[in-house]
Amino acid sequence: MNLYDLIVKKIKDIQGTDDESPITNISTSSMLTAEITLISSILVALIMLRLVSKILMIVAVLVVLFAFLVAMPLMPRFKKEQNDSLAAMMFYVILALAIVIALFYWGNLNV
Amino acid sequence: MIIDTQLASLFTAVALIIIGIFAAAFLDNLIKKVIGLAFIGDGVNLFIVSMGYKAGGIVYIYLPGMAADWFSQNASYPLPFAMVLTSIVIGASTMAVMLGIIIVLYKKHGSLKASEILGD
Amino acid sequence: MNSLIPLMVIVPILCALFLNLLHKKDRTIKIIAIILALILPALPILANYGLHYFGGYVPLIENPTLGTDLPSLITGTALNTFHPAITYSFQSAQKIFVFILGLVGLLAVFTSLFETRRPSGVYGYMMFMGIAAITAVLLTDDIFNLYVFFEIAALATVGIVLVSNIKGNYETALKYMILGGIAAPMLLLGVALLLGVTGNVNITDIIYSLKNGLVNPQSPVLLMACGLIVFGWLYGSGLPPFHTIKSAVYSKALPSGAALVQAFSVFTFIALGVIILRIFSYLPFSQWVILGVSLLAMILGITMAILQTDLRRMIGFLAVGELGYIGIGLGLGTVSGITAGLFQAVNEAVITAFLFIGFGTVLYQTGISDTRKLGGMMVRNPKVALLVLLAGFAMAGVPPLNAFQSKLMLIQASINAGLPELGVIMILLSIVTFMTFMKAFHAVFLRPKPADLEIKNENIPKATIIAMLVFLVVCIVFGLFPQVVTSYLQPLATSLGGVV
Repeated sequence: MNLYDLIVKKIKDIQGTDDESPITNISTSSMLTAEITLISSILVALIMLRLVSKILMIVAVLVVLFAFLVAMPLMPRFKKEQNDSLAAMMFYVILALAIVIALFYWGNLNV
Repeated sequence: MIIDTQLASLFTAVALIIIGIFAAAFLDNLIKKVIGLAFIGDGVNLFIVSMGYKAGGIVYIYLPGMAADWFSQNASYPLPFAMVLTSIVIGASTMAVMLGIIIVLYKKHGSLKASEILGD
Repeated sequence: MNSLIPLMVIVPILCALFLNLLHKKDRTIKIIAIILALILPALPILANYGLHYFGGYVPLIENPTLGTDLPSLITGTALNTFHPAITYSFQSAQKIFVFILGLVGLLAVFTSLFETRRPSGVYGYMMFMGIAAITAVLLTDDIFNLYVFFEIAALATVGIVLVSNIKGNYETALKYMILGGIAAPMLLLGVALLLGVTGNVNITDIIYSLKNGLVNPQSPVLLMACGLIVFGWLYGSGLPPFHTIKSAVYSKALPSGAALVQAFSVFTFIALGVIILRIFSYLPFSQWVILGVSLLAMILGITMAILQTDLRRMIGFLAVGELGYIGIGLGLGTVSGITAGLFQAVNEAVITAFLFIGFGTVLYQTGISDTRKLGGMMVRNPKVALLVLLAGFAMAGVPPLNAFQSKLMLIQASINAGLPELGVIMILLSIVTFMTFMKAFHAVFLRPKPADLEIKNENIPKATIIAMLVFLVVCIVFGLFPQVVTSYLQPLATSLGGVV
């Protein structure tokens, strides 16, 4: 089994069997592109932590890189999380509200 | 009085908002969700109204015979009340549209369960 | 005082009410809608810069005769300089924003009138009401007034989705309203906290109070207000976590409606973003939040866009992702960054509308938006295919077109601000945007036509082609002469960036 088949199998596993549409060449390459884009842009964004502390940046990049390598096909999971059901959206909205308020309230006080 | 009116109103407002968010997030019935959203809106309105409250203040209508100095020191703050009126109107119209959509969806699906209608 | 300033809001509202009254009379609706829509982009060009006070009350300091009888308690304090009216401020940046909004509105109304068989007064009503609301959001200097029109714009968006008759539009509209039912009161709560601390809803006065030590800028209540307003901003412009619902809203509207609704999001983004920068620029943290959220929007929006199989959803996610570029410009906080961000906003409103209307022709002809079932449309109308291709080039930032200029400016600004990483990410995501677009373009236009694909409408209305050509001209003009736009945006950017 070569790498391509492995990826297709992984996508099939995560999508489940209920999706009747076949996994085409285009959808596989899209998934791969999305995966690579996600990982590379997050890693590049993490380099900005150097403004806070260089050691923190190195540690963060290494930890995130390792975490990504372990949890490799990230994109199918991301896609699953960002679905259209109201419950999922509501969860993230309330989570975001909590994070934004907490960040502003404590983040500014301690800067 | 154990707690003054303004503080009590602010606590009530916060309680309404939290109950509303809880209802909107966890109740499955669409009508109950909308009631939860109404709670949030009402909580915020109550919050604004109670901010304009002034202990011992008078109604902000300038009547003949009032000294301008005395009036400007004792009148309560009118802006929040004006804002709340507008905000209530907006809330009511939003609610009307939401309930209208729910009627359509109920006719279509025969159910009011958010997990069925508004699922993936 | 300039009487044309309130007309920018009043004309679309009147037009909306008229169209609703004339519900069944098709021809009259067409004529009135086109004439009044033509006024929309013309008004901001004709109007002079200035302030308009609804209620007619200028600050006491500008008209001392008003204050002769008032006690020194009022005339001797900061109250003397405050604005006791709903103030609309029309400056050079607003001129270009309202003009672009009017142009997108005009072309969207124009296409919708000729694409639908029976032009509906209700649809026109929603479109014009939304345009009026967003114009007011752009012009107003009063944060509560902004909230009111923000809600009206949300209702108009829901209305545009409900009218579309696409499968699942009611469900999406209800989801949008429920999420809005949580987020919009939070924005109002933020406004209320600002009012509670400063006693004012006029943004200029709030800033005056903060700058002159009338209130403590480090008050925790103000931090809370900033957080809540940022949350409302996320909802209004469809940044994460609202990117899924916002892209769903785009995909459930008719192409002309989606073109307009995305312009609403872009301008809400700008209006609220500028307000956050103006009021809370003394908190360096607020800029980091804007940067972070924008980065997240770019990454999530564009990576999700590649995975979509539905054409409309794909452009919807791309539109959300492109918003991130504007946010990065604003978040950098430098004059060049903010200019680039605002320029990108102008460009994006035009280009995304162009794309929505361009791919809308395919929907018009086939009624299908699933890319797996489409193909071979190039043979049918190569001219439209060329126009759509150019729209995609514009979005990705290919040289003679406008987004190239703004993206280049953004990258230069990010390097000058000492954050070259942002430039790298922006280039990377531009490439992926282009790939996403090419994927859709290939599936719709280049691939051989599937045997079971039916063509419902043979001819694309001339109006749609004209609208696309106008968009193309705007793209090329802004691309070749960027200083035409940036000279309008510079004053606002200088006033914002000078603070930092």
